[in-house]
Amino acid sequence: MIQLESVSKHFDGKRKVTALDQVSLSISKGEMVSIVGASGSGKSTLLNLIGGLDRPSSGEIIIDGQSLTKISDDELTKVRRDKIGFIFQFFNLLPTLNCAENVALPLHLRGWNRKRTEQRARELLELVKLGQRLEHLPEELSGGERQRVAIARALAVYPPILLADEPTGNLDSHTGAEILTLIRDLHHRLQTTILIVTHDMGVAESCQRTIRLRDGRIIEDLRR
Amino acid sequence: MILLRLLSWPYVRKHKLRTSLTIAGIALGVLVFVAMRTANNSVLYGFQQTVERIAGKAQLQISSGETGFPEEVLEKVQALPEVEVAVPVIEANLNTGRKGQGNLLVLAVDMTGDRSLRQYEFEEGEEAVVDDPLVFLAQPDSIIVTREFAAANGLTTNSKIRLETMDGPKQFTVRGIMKSGGLASAFGGNLAIMDIYAAQKVFGRGRTFDRIDLKLKPEISLEAGKAALQQALGPGFQIEPPSSRGKQFEAIAKLFGIAASLNSLFALLIGLFIIYNTFAVAVAQRRSEIGILRSLGASRNQIRGLFLSESVIMGLVGSLLGIVLGLLLAQAMSGYISTFLSEIYGVAQHTEEIAADPLVLVSAALIGIATSLAAAWIPANDAATADPVKAIHKGAWESFTDQESRLRLLGAVAFIIVAALCSFTGGKSGFRLYLGYLSVVLAAVMLTPAAVKCIVRLLRPLWRWLLPVEGALATDSLLQTPRRTSATVAAVMLSLSLVIGLGGVAAASYRSILDWMTAALNPDLFVGSSEQIADRSFRFPPEIGEQLQKLDFIDEVQMVRSARVLYKDTPVMMVSTSLESLRRRIRPKAVAGDLEKAYREAARGEGVILSDNLALQHGLKVGDIMEISSPSGVLKLPVLAITIDYSDQRGALLMERSLYIEKWKDPTVNLFRVYLKPGVAPEEAKRRILERFAQERKLFVMTNQQVRDYILRITDQWFGLTYMQIFVAVLVAVLGIVNSLTVSITDRRRELAVLQAVGGLRRQVRQAVWMEALGIGAVSLVLGLLLGAVILQYYLDAIREDLAGMRLDYYYPTRIALLLVPTMLITSFVSALWPAETAVRTSLVEALEYE
Repeated sequence: MIQLESVSKHFDGKRKVTALDQVSLSISKGEMVSIVGASGSGKSTLLNLIGGLDRPSSGEIIIDGQSLTKISDDELTKVRRDKIGFIFQFFNLLPTLNCAENVALPLHLRGWNRKRTEQRARELLELVKLGQRLEHLPEELSGGERQRVAIARALAVYPPILLADEPTGNLDSHTGAEILTLIRDLHHRLQTTILIVTHDMGVAESCQRTIRLRDGRIIEDLRR
Repeated sequence: MILLRLLSWPYVRKHKLRTSLTIAGIALGVLVFVAMRTANNSVLYGFQQTVERIAGKAQLQISSGETGFPEEVLEKVQALPEVEVAVPVIEANLNTGRKGQGNLLVLAVDMTGDRSLRQYEFEEGEEAVVDDPLVFLAQPDSIIVTREFAAANGLTTNSKIRLETMDGPKQFTVRGIMKSGGLASAFGGNLAIMDIYAAQKVFGRGRTFDRIDLKLKPEISLEAGKAALQQALGPGFQIEPPSSRGKQFEAIAKLFGIAASLNSLFALLIGLFIIYNTFAVAVAQRRSEIGILRSLGASRNQIRGLFLSESVIMGLVGSLLGIVLGLLLAQAMSGYISTFLSEIYGVAQHTEEIAADPLVLVSAALIGIATSLAAAWIPANDAATADPVKAIHKGAWESFTDQESRLRLLGAVAFIIVAALCSFTGGKSGFRLYLGYLSVVLAAVMLTPAAVKCIVRLLRPLWRWLLPVEGALATDSLLQTPRRTSATVAAVMLSLSLVIGLGGVAAASYRSILDWMTAALNPDLFVGSSEQIADRSFRFPPEIGEQLQKLDFIDEVQMVRSARVLYKDTPVMMVSTSLESLRRRIRPKAVAGDLEKAYREAARGEGVILSDNLALQHGLKVGDIMEISSPSGVLKLPVLAITIDYSDQRGALLMERSLYIEKWKDPTVNLFRVYLKPGVAPEEAKRRILERFAQERKLFVMTNQQVRDYILRITDQWFGLTYMQIFVAVLVAVLGIVNSLTVSITDRRRELAVLQAVGGLRRQVRQAVWMEALGIGAVSLVLGLLLGAVILQYYLDAIREDLAGMRLDYYYPTRIALLLVPTMLITSFVSALWPAETAVRTSLVEALEYE
């Protein structure tokens, strides 16, 4: 499902920084993988590259059989749109849109009609147990509820890949556990390939596979 | 200072474009101020210089408006014991007909006495010819030119030069070439000297002079000399030192000066809003920085001082830039203004150099800095009074607190009440008019945030219908940031309202002038001495009128003599013609008095008919007695009626021609109004008239349509400034919207990145930014067009009561408003292109991490 071949990422500033160094990796369909490592080890960079938010300096990334290396920005957007869902640490909900509108956003961007969009948004919010909060604005929700809305949005088109960057990092431990349960439940029900970047070893250990990074290299690839 | 170096300088360096836009805002205001003032001053200075150089040693000049006076007056003056020397003068303005050379000022003097007042310095070897004035006199085709004029036209002594005269083009012989400097540098060197008695014939002056220049005996004071002259000549004469002619010119061109000041004010106001907007944006962008500084112990004064210091520095840089560019623009503008004033007022002047008045330049710099400081005051104060915790939080600064909104609403209500009180208590003039106007503008500014909210909410469904996601995002962004949005909208709204106000005045003037032309300017042909109708240099003898009348295709000829005469020591345009004939031919709109009766009485010389604007300027009503100075003494004539008449911008009085001839001893004519017999084509009649007089005189024949076009062209030039203001309004919109969107995009970097992360194409992000810009443009348009409708009434009142006394009907400039709609929407869209590209080119990873 996800394949990385000798992927490197350098940042050219006053001094050149290597965030990822010749990383090769293969993740199969339906796997739930955690990526761990110290700050600056390259885990978020890895997630961003897989998600098509950034481009590698060298190497090749293949998502569901499609190489991201030489495609245009709009094609990259289409890959994100159809194959990848993002869950962010800070939720990144649009403050002026209500829950249903936030979830419906990717669908609107795909040009779905209003009726179909509303129907899907309701279905997704019910899936994350927020069916009663359709009209609420993000500021009227708790942190956990906001993250649920973000998850519902990430699932908008039931993408085959879900990328989560510290999904519990901004939540208390109780709410974090709830969100993790939800993600695992969704993984179980939808068979989505999930990659979670985390500092939390509890979250990491709940995944079938854990990849540990240090200085931009994979130093451990543990399967449970 | 350290804060400036540590915090402001990096910000300025990082936001080079925005800093440039702010400086451009100040520079624009200062530029217009300096350019308008300097160009205007240069024209006045040029006129003054010409007057002084021509005056030579003359201490006093005697004139009688523009009508001139009989030769006998000179004898009376010369006979006075107080006078050492008195010489006659005729001044006329000739079109050289040569491209790029403009007009030639002909100074006609009596060479026998004139050299005791004026110094004529000739090129080597030239003296002999004019040393003996009798030789000069004996040859009536003699002319002396300046070295500059000779060089420009390849003339040497004894060269022949063709000039237009009353008797058609005539050859003149150059008898001398004056050295540069002194008298020869008057009128930019475009000066020619001619014998006065030859000039009387050439310019159709009859046996009159325009002026007497004189020098008093050394022991006689100026005041004593003036008093003696006044007593000897009576009240029909103006006896003033040469310098006062500049003041008269200034008075005549007063309206132009006011228009120039209004434009400067407009530009500065716009500059003020651009700076306010930029500083409001800077404060909003740097709110976290401010919060951190406050948390670290920075005092409110230090924060305020930081922003105000930035504004002073930007004000200084902008002012200096504006001054330099303003002087360059003044150079380019002064020639245009000279021609323009000459066409409108018929007063020739020549601008030689730019009169850069240090006072204007220092004022410009101070105004630039003060404007910058004033504009930055509110944002700086906001920054200083911010709660440190709130300041660190994103978005808290963008909205108004409930208290702020309430205060704004209360303020708006208070200003509306003030405006209403001013209006209901006779606020049609003076202080109350301007207070009312200011109150309306302030109320509009106060109401802007609430109005923006309402209109954007109304727009939201339309925007969403057009582009569901992008439209919603755009309108939500506008709603979420009322402070930023309303600052931009207020700036664009004000500039648009000014365009509508001034455009409305232009449209109303057009309509009124067209109405007047239809009612009063109905002859088939106009026969004059120049292409410029306002030019009164040449005069015709009345016989020409009689000859015209004899042509079989002409039904009637009205002989018109117009000139500025003195009323209460002010030059006032007097138009004299046969009022009985006029009564039969025209249907002017009466403002006061029974027009039929008034024309009959005026035709008997029993009074005058005034234009509405003249009556207003001098507070005259029907029945009032006007005391008009003439060479035969003071005429006391009642005002018989007041009509709408735009024949002169400062108003005109209509007098029976026979009365004028009797009192001014001047039978000459400036213009013939010719009515053709039915069925005669004007173009054909024109051709035949020119043919008839081809061998005798130089005539300019204009058809009714040509005169109308000429008047409308002059009106166009006068209101050409409106188009400049539209340009400035567009510039304001560009600067405001670019500023506003840049901040909006910076603030929403993360939001826009999320949009792209969840599948938004670049095109969709671009469209969201474009829609936001179009939203600002649309809201500004609605508010600007509405406010313009209100302030137009104030402008019309101001023009009527305080400026020109013109009665203009309210007429909303629909065409300009319609032109503004696409202009502003396109401008908004174009302004959004660059910010939209910034939005889509940003790194998604960085943007998602941005907080």
